[in-house]
Amino acid sequence: MLIEESAYSNRWRKVSPAAKGLFALAALVAAFAAATPVTAFIIAALVAGATVGGAQVAPGRYFRVALPALIFLAAGCLSLAFSIDWNITRGDLLIQLAPDGLHTVAAVGARSLGALAALLFLALTTPLIDLVALLRRLRTPEALLDIMVLCYRMLFVFSTAVHDTVTAQSARLGYATPRLVIRSLGGLVANLTLQVWQRAHTLHVAAQARNNDGPLRFLQASFDNAARDLKIAFAAGAALVLLSLWLR
Amino acid sequence: MMSTMNERPTATLLALDQIRFAYPDGSIGLDGCSLAIRRGSRNALLGANGSGKTTVFHHTNGLLRPQSGQIWYAGQAIDYSRSGLRRLRSKVGLVFQNPDHQIFSASVQEDVSFGPYNLGLDDATVRERVAASLLAVGMSGFADKAVHHLSFGQKKRVCIAGVLAMEPELLILDEPMAGLDYRMQEELLAVLDGLHARGITLLLATHDIDFAYRWADHIHLMRAGRCVASLDAPRLADYAGQLSALGLPLPAVIALQHGLMRRGLLAVEQRPRSCAELLTMLETARLGKGDGN
Repeated sequence: MLIEESAYSNRWRKVSPAAKGLFALAALVAAFAAATPVTAFIIAALVAGATVGGAQVAPGRYFRVALPALIFLAAGCLSLAFSIDWNITRGDLLIQLAPDGLHTVAAVGARSLGALAALLFLALTTPLIDLVALLRRLRTPEALLDIMVLCYRMLFVFSTAVHDTVTAQSARLGYATPRLVIRSLGGLVANLTLQVWQRAHTLHVAAQARNNDGPLRFLQASFDNAARDLKIAFAAGAALVLLSLWLR
Repeated sequence: MMSTMNERPTATLLALDQIRFAYPDGSIGLDGCSLAIRRGSRNALLGANGSGKTTVFHHTNGLLRPQSGQIWYAGQAIDYSRSGLRRLRSKVGLVFQNPDHQIFSASVQEDVSFGPYNLGLDDATVRERVAASLLAVGMSGFADKAVHHLSFGQKKRVCIAGVLAMEPELLILDEPMAGLDYRMQEELLAVLDGLHARGITLLLATHDIDFAYRWADHIHLMRAGRCVASLDAPRLADYAGQLSALGLPLPAVIALQHGLMRRGLLAVEQRPRSCAELLTMLETARLGKGDGN
């Protein structure tokens, strides 16, 4: 929900999603093209700065969204830094710092930070409905987009269903003891499974009622300054890539 | 003089004739149900839960097919071929009771555009219809909002807009007032009155007898899969027994009117549809007595 709230409330909400997509893509390229960890780190900082400073995504929210990915990245980097040697004959387990460990960690970590910043820029400034519209213009297969739209819509329907069911269970002491927790969770899963089936059926009926017998087609949002936005995004993205190549 | 024979097919927009339908689990949905909807009228379908109201609605849109009996739309028997159903569904719009069962897309204007695109309309026409429909339900300012950020009442309006954008002749709403607070109900009522003024025929299911009596031109009473009475709304007082069998009371204004009649304060032939009308009648009666004195 943090991502969702940010995508709808940021200053660049009305900027063309194509422009934001182009800038994010350029940031990704710049991060991967970075020859040194410092360059990749500078790219990451610039993109994060654009998200927080330009689109005015609150720094606290940005950090909270990034935190799970950062923890995952840290765990990944740690495993790169150390090598594990298990001697079967002696039965020893030897953990030691890999010869190039720190250098690899710096290179991979900084690039990943750059890539993370690029994706966060897109996710935190662009609602998914705009992204789907962009993908539609980019000729992504209809079936894939239909699944994306339905999954996204159902995410909120089911989060409400989960919330309601858990509340109803809690009100009748469903989570009072560890044993009851397991029992209630089982009930929750069973209830949701049934709801998935019923919702799928009702949506199918609703689609038929509105004359649907093929792909799900929707109106695409229009953005007044799309051409100008694209030019700015192209210039900014090119600058990022050039900076990355220049700081070799 | 106009020929009555010529008027008849168009005066009745939709007619169900002895429809029978049983669900796969054996439960009876409709059991010889017959009812007719006049073009341009406002209709309320009253009945207890499980009386067959939703099943009737699903038949009118061709979602369910009768196992016996015939359904007529604008004087023609419903054609259940693919093209026939397309024609029918472009004329008969169905708004579901639960908005989450109807809304597909995550964005308001995308969802409203779903029906018009299914009709094969071009982008410019779809855009025009989406804007007009959202304006009609008072949701123009929410066009690019995400559906999950809307209230229940707003979602209901989006559902109505989604069907309106297909420009139906007959709009069917399954318990539209369910789950709405008083203010939202009044707002929705204003929307429905606006649609009726545009000539759209309206049929809705409701449990609110006072609302049905105040709003509808015709009331249809459903019981055990059958339409047991179709009447002009002002004659509802004559159907107290039928209502009682459905577990419904007479509208409060009729009960009040009967009390006033017993006390000689109101003439028998008057049939007020709302408290405001009743009050006006009382004022008129009081002024009349004052003139007499």
